Amino acid sequence: MAFVLTLIGAALAVGLEMLEALAIVLAVGLERRFRDSLLGTAGAAAALAALAVVLGPVLLSRVPLEPLRVVIGAFLLLFGLEWLRKGVLRLAGRRSRSDSFKEFVEEREALHELPPPPPGEADWAARAIAFKGVLLEGVEVILIVTALGARPGGLAPALIGGVVAIAAVIGIGLVAHRPLSRLPETHLKYTVGVVLSTFGVFFAAEGLGVEWPGSDAALLYIALAFVLLSQLQIAVISQRGRTAEAVAS
Amino acid sequence: MKTLRQLRKLVLGETWSLPLGIGIALGIAALIHEVAGEWWEQAGGFILLGLAALALSISLGGVLIAHASQGRSARRR
Repeated sequence: MAFVLTLIGAALAVGLEMLEALAIVLAVGLERRFRDSLLGTAGAAAALAALAVVLGPVLLSRVPLEPLRVVIGAFLLLFGLEWLRKGVLRLAGRRSRSDSFKEFVEEREALHELPPPPPGEADWAARAIAFKGVLLEGVEVILIVTALGARPGGLAPALIGGVVAIAAVIGIGLVAHRPLSRLPETHLKYTVGVVLSTFGVFFAAEGLGVEWPGSDAALLYIALAFVLLSQLQIAVISQRGRTAEAVAS
Repeated sequence: MKTLRQLRKLVLGETWSLPLGIGIALGIAALIHEVAGEWWEQAGGFILLGLAALALSISLGGVLIAHASQGRSARRR
């Protein structure tokens, strides 16, 4: 149970974040030069690898297990509840839907207005945009995978999920040369929010001495509780929004 | 500065209410854990789940308040 949920959570979180990074890398490559876009991406990947090497061993070997579970739970709750909050607002129609393809188009339009570099010179603006885009999306990926992988038996599914997702996103980039426009990103991000929040509550409670009834099966009823609560919140916010609009018109 | 702001947004999220709510929820849970008896082992998880759900609901409460004030100002017009 925990293996499958960790794998799904890691794969979805990494895949969705990397799709956003892909939108920036492709936009920079198509609008400027792919060489500069890929150099910026390589720089960010090196910085992220260094962060992962530092963060992973520190978390896994230096911090005692019980406090570690609370820290991991806190991080997962921070990410999970934030993804869930945005998901509720998007599904209730109070926030624009998540769309990597739209970001790709907007990024290209913004880059089009930047003056090109002199011929034969390095395009530092393009490199910096690709570097920053990949770094910012990648930091969240590193933190989520590290947190999911830090629990006993969690490293393998977290890494497998992450690697499969990165390979899939690179494949999409190589084949399609643009982010997929029909991916249900809003619903997928909502799912990631539920999965990460579930693990967050599960780990933090274990770190505080809780023994969940049903052991790993608790993941199922915690997830169900988050789904029911968030669906209720979506219904209430949608209803209030419709009422406010009806009164205003 | 802008990158630092973006990093803060990535780690803590877009609002202050959610990270504060999570911090308070974990603080309350840790406090109860210290003073509670054996019942905490069985029931503590559900208390933390309730506190996390409350933190999420409060962070979304701002949206509901904004709608309510929108409705009131529209009715006045």
